[in-house]
Amino acid sequence: MHANKPENFYQNVTEALAQPDLKMIIRRTTDKAETKRAEAIANFPEFEKARQQGQKVKDHTIKYMDHYLAEFEKNAAAQGTIVHWASTGEEASKIVLDICRQHEAKKVTRSKSMLGEEIGLSHALDNSGIERVETDLAEHIIQLAGDPPSHIVWPAMHRSREDVIKLFREFHKDPTYSEEITDLVRSARRDLRTKFLTSDIGISGSNFLLADSGSSCTVTNEGNAELTITPPKVHIVTAGIEKLVPSMAHAVPLLRLLTRSATGGEITQYITFHNGPKRPNDADGPEECHIVLVDNGRTKMLADGMEEMLRCIRCGACMNHCVVYKHIGGHAYGSVYPGPMGSVLTPHLDSLKVANKQTHACTLNGRCEEVCPVNIPLPKLLRALRAESWQKKYEPLTNRYVVKAYAQLAKRPRMFQFVSSCGVVFMKLFSRQGWIKSMPFTGGWTRNRDLIEPESKTFMQQYKASKKAKSSGGR
Amino acid sequence: MDNKRNNESRERIFNAIKAAAPTVSMDLDIIQKEAQDILAESEFARPKLLAEDAPEALVNRINAGLVIGTSCEIVASLEDLPHSVNQFLNKYSLPPELKVQNVPKLQSLNWESLSIDVDLQKDNTVGMCWAEYGVAETGSFVVHSSPEMPILLNFLPLYLIAVIPKSKILHYMDDYALIASEIANRGETPRNMCLISGVSGTTDIEGVLVQGAHGPEISHIIIVEDQ
Repeated sequence: MHANKPENFYQNVTEALAQPDLKMIIRRTTDKAETKRAEAIANFPEFEKARQQGQKVKDHTIKYMDHYLAEFEKNAAAQGTIVHWASTGEEASKIVLDICRQHEAKKVTRSKSMLGEEIGLSHALDNSGIERVETDLAEHIIQLAGDPPSHIVWPAMHRSREDVIKLFREFHKDPTYSEEITDLVRSARRDLRTKFLTSDIGISGSNFLLADSGSSCTVTNEGNAELTITPPKVHIVTAGIEKLVPSMAHAVPLLRLLTRSATGGEITQYITFHNGPKRPNDADGPEECHIVLVDNGRTKMLADGMEEMLRCIRCGACMNHCVVYKHIGGHAYGSVYPGPMGSVLTPHLDSLKVANKQTHACTLNGRCEEVCPVNIPLPKLLRALRAESWQKKYEPLTNRYVVKAYAQLAKRPRMFQFVSSCGVVFMKLFSRQGWIKSMPFTGGWTRNRDLIEPESKTFMQQYKASKKAKSSGGR
Repeated sequence: MDNKRNNESRERIFNAIKAAAPTVSMDLDIIQKEAQDILAESEFARPKLLAEDAPEALVNRINAGLVIGTSCEIVASLEDLPHSVNQFLNKYSLPPELKVQNVPKLQSLNWESLSIDVDLQKDNTVGMCWAEYGVAETGSFVVHSSPEMPILLNFLPLYLIAVIPKSKILHYMDDYALIASEIANRGETPRNMCLISGVSGTTDIEGVLVQGAHGPEISHIIIVEDQ
């Protein structure tokens, strides 16, 4: 599978919609996540209060971000962690590669980190000749397949069991010939076990950075983060600066929200706080610990009035509930971050010029905002990006002319009604048994589904007729 | 490492933050008070426990099947541990061997016919650890890395037994955060603090839950009364 680009969004969508099983495969996971989340929230009547508290934690940290960053830096250094700063993704990747080279690393293990994908670390490691071992099962699957992730929680959700069977038989040293999912997971366990124990460097992301202790926190269900980090001599954390919270006590409300919103579980199986390198005489653990703090567009979000997006705790609930994501999947967005949150993030991490089409791929039904555990007003942010895109003239000329023509028409009610009436008559010409299969100027719609036949009269005609009927009935 | 480049990036990030939010107060007292005020809301923003008593709430959570792959029992004293472990091994038809954490209170017990020092890297090992705390809210046990606690002991075995003193079972994660803060104030923060709530699991293939993805498939918590 080739890596899609955000600027080719419409083409990506066309290709995604043409895949016969994709929608079914995506819905199998997202629908289950949706149901389980609903159950988890129903069992947690205090959820709304927790959500408000979670929002406050994030807003407070963002408000004093420079203070907490400086605190984190000071306390992490006191634990023995070496702190690095990176303005861009490229810079962050280079820092990680330099550390790997300094230690003459031949093999690195990685636990799932969307930031790692964002900064292009996978490609940078591959290009440098260092063996990269993805240890999260889903990341392991897509690494074998050569795919980019399609979801931030289930990166391999686009791959079926049959795909996994083929991949494991081709790449595992001691593969299973069973088709049972349990046996497939065992096959991965066997394959990854020796790699965990022979890695030179372990690379992880961080769900939270605790300012008062300089700790990083990883959250997994598989336990692969601890197995990635503990055996090698060196641990490298890459984390966005928005991952900060004041303390462990402030991370707790967010942990309550994260798992319930992501998978519908009450808590993730493994929550580990990492506090620098191993202490003298510790039984195991890395001897050296680095943290790379990454900006890569986050301060631009602050400056652009998009600070609410920095609350995001990467639970994926917005995409699990998005009608558009459920149809087209993650790859169509052409970015590391798909779905509603990705449509807001990508224009800042890449540029609005290349990622403006995604901002229009939203029905504004508000489901994403309803389920967001930290109350990010995603529809509002998407509308702001649409407005900016319009002001910067990123929209195609045809769209601009059509919208301008519509604006002129909307200011002239009689003309508007006349043109609407003509439109109804025009559409009726192409209608068969209540549906329009094709019609000039509507190829974008009718390519994948039929258009419903319009009512015989316009809304205003029907409204007037109804009003007239009511008034004559009243006499 | 390129220190100059590192400092430049740091300065660029801090300048960009200041430029984006130039009016924010940096009075430490105000910041701390705001942060504390948020924590005061925790009491009303956390789930109800399954019992008022923390150990009972933890047991209820596990017995209700809410902690993946985990069972539990309460024993009267440490001396009862070998018997409980034997029962566990018999239940899963496992050989009479386990890797016991190197702490005197576990090592000094009479393990009778059990071999208690096996190679951790064997895939079907049974591990046994001494947990620092339990958390009723999440059905968790907490381990801290130390010279006596290899973190891998909790992740390499396919079967894991955790021993928690009853008096160390806390109500909420917030309570553990307070303790972690006290440990930090004493300058004794361990390298790793792990909250373990269930076993290693994945739903990455067709959304089906499989236990034992990389770490334990089965976990058993033994709560000891007299500690």
